[in-house]
Amino acid sequence: MAKTVNINVHHVTRVEGHGNIVVNATNGKVEKVQWQVPEAPRFFEAMVRGRSYEDIQTIVSRICGICSITHSLASTKAVENALGIKVSEQADKVRILMHYSEQLQSHVLHVGYLVSPDLFGLPSVVPLAAKAPEVVMAVIRLHRLANEWSDLIAGRTTHPVTLTPGGLTKFPTEKELRGLQERLKNAVPDLKAVAEAVLSAASAIPNFTRETEYISLKQDNPPTYTFYHGDITSTDYDGAVSIHDWQSVANEYMNDQSTAKWTKWHRDSYTVGALARFNNNAELLSPLANDVAKMLGLAKGCCNPFMNSVAQIVECVHVVETSIGMIDELLTAGIKPENVKVSPKAGKASGCVEAPRGILFHQYEFDRKGNCVGADICIPTNQNHAAIQQDFEKFVPEILDEGEDAVRLKLEMLVRSYDPCISCSTHMLNVEFVR
Amino acid sequence: MVLGLGNPLMADDGIGVELVERLAQEAGRYPAADIIDAGTGGMSVLHMIEGRRKAILIDSAHMGETPGTIRRFTPEEVRSAKILAHQSLHEADLLRVLTLAEQLGQAPETMVIFGIQPQVVEPRQGVSGILLDRVDHYLTEIRSELERSAG
Repeated sequence: MAKTVNINVHHVTRVEGHGNIVVNATNGKVEKVQWQVPEAPRFFEAMVRGRSYEDIQTIVSRICGICSITHSLASTKAVENALGIKVSEQADKVRILMHYSEQLQSHVLHVGYLVSPDLFGLPSVVPLAAKAPEVVMAVIRLHRLANEWSDLIAGRTTHPVTLTPGGLTKFPTEKELRGLQERLKNAVPDLKAVAEAVLSAASAIPNFTRETEYISLKQDNPPTYTFYHGDITSTDYDGAVSIHDWQSVANEYMNDQSTAKWTKWHRDSYTVGALARFNNNAELLSPLANDVAKMLGLAKGCCNPFMNSVAQIVECVHVVETSIGMIDELLTAGIKPENVKVSPKAGKASGCVEAPRGILFHQYEFDRKGNCVGADICIPTNQNHAAIQQDFEKFVPEILDEGEDAVRLKLEMLVRSYDPCISCSTHMLNVEFVR
Repeated sequence: MVLGLGNPLMADDGIGVELVERLAQEAGRYPAADIIDAGTGGMSVLHMIEGRRKAILIDSAHMGETPGTIRRFTPEEVRSAKILAHQSLHEADLLRVLTLAEQLGQAPETMVIFGIQPQVVEPRQGVSGILLDRVDHYLTEIRSELERSAG
């Protein structure tokens, strides 16, 4: 059936992240399909110039209110690499624990509050709370656990204060770690409940695939499903590229339909995020995470972008199970006080970690006093824009016959599945009085 | 509890935070109340208000009033006119969070919102003079709400 479809989902509101969906089709012929990002630049790379190496993480943490720990870790690692600073094994482990808290927090928010209403055919989480209150309660308990886990290790939920070049300013006590471990063990039933709820609604996940290059970190020594250490790899590339050469992977370029930079490596686009990590590292998942992946039908080589949310659930299980084991290791070794002393020198280097929504690169250069003279940051959402556009181009002709409303909903769901982090700005109220 | 919401880097959006910072200096007068800077707390507000008897929320609000106007209302008295894209975690609607809390039986018995009409919301630090001039008036309103709560 020939269809005429005109979609212009234009998020004119200045208070949130901007992403526009444009589709024009006449009599079944697609004329225009675009994913546009008209977000204003934020100049963080300029803001850090002239600032001391000690201040960098505090400033760039503000790039994002969801993945502030990730930005802090990437920048701190870059500073340490540039200044030749070593970090103790204990600090390294506690930082990874901190990072895991953010993976859980972000993934639970995304799957629980943004994606699950789509799966249950509801406009938002509010009616979902009426329909499936026990699932929403499980999501809220997990979110709260993740927040309090960040509070404990990072000093607060958002924008960590315990990170410093060379280590941490404060370590959790052994008693606090035991308490956290107990709570993580108790969270497993909630994780299973969320996974089962998603399984029950799995038929609502669109059956769409597009051959895709997936890029993520990969760690061989020791082999780890990594979010923090390792080199860059891809499903199109057998080897590994040093994180210091990330610019040769990202190949950032400008595009007329977007104010954000786009990226490509072996193909015209690539994808980062939970599904990318899974596709590169699935065999290294924790046992329970592996079981959940099997239960949800997620297998290595999956090229359905909608399955990114499923990969996020698998990763939630992985970070909780892995953290329980890491806390055992920390308790066995005993928490020892550390006194970090760092002296500035000139240097230039990168730092790389996996944000919940994909691989993140930071690079800084410092003069001999340790003041920043240059910065370059490449965020995961920008690395996904070209892939979203290419998904649109393949997906729209496949679903055009379903009509305008269905096309609009499915394209919005597609964008959501990438868990984009378009901007973090104000969150003010906008109300009309009804009484 | 008193929650101040907003982003101090976005001019008048920061008025809620500005007011709780000032209230916190006289916290001794309200021993039963927690006075919290909730920032752009989003969904975390859900956890902050859980199990509380009363929540007083202070936020900038587009209400169609002249800039600087303060209005006291309850969540039931308004409807959100905010357009959510549902694409990103970086958006939250306070009213939706409060509705969710009610749905789940986690909401305080009483929730009161003080909305302050902003003059300007753009990337800069500091609240407009027109709002700053009325800070004492805003604090008087909030104090009397707190005193009513204690009584």
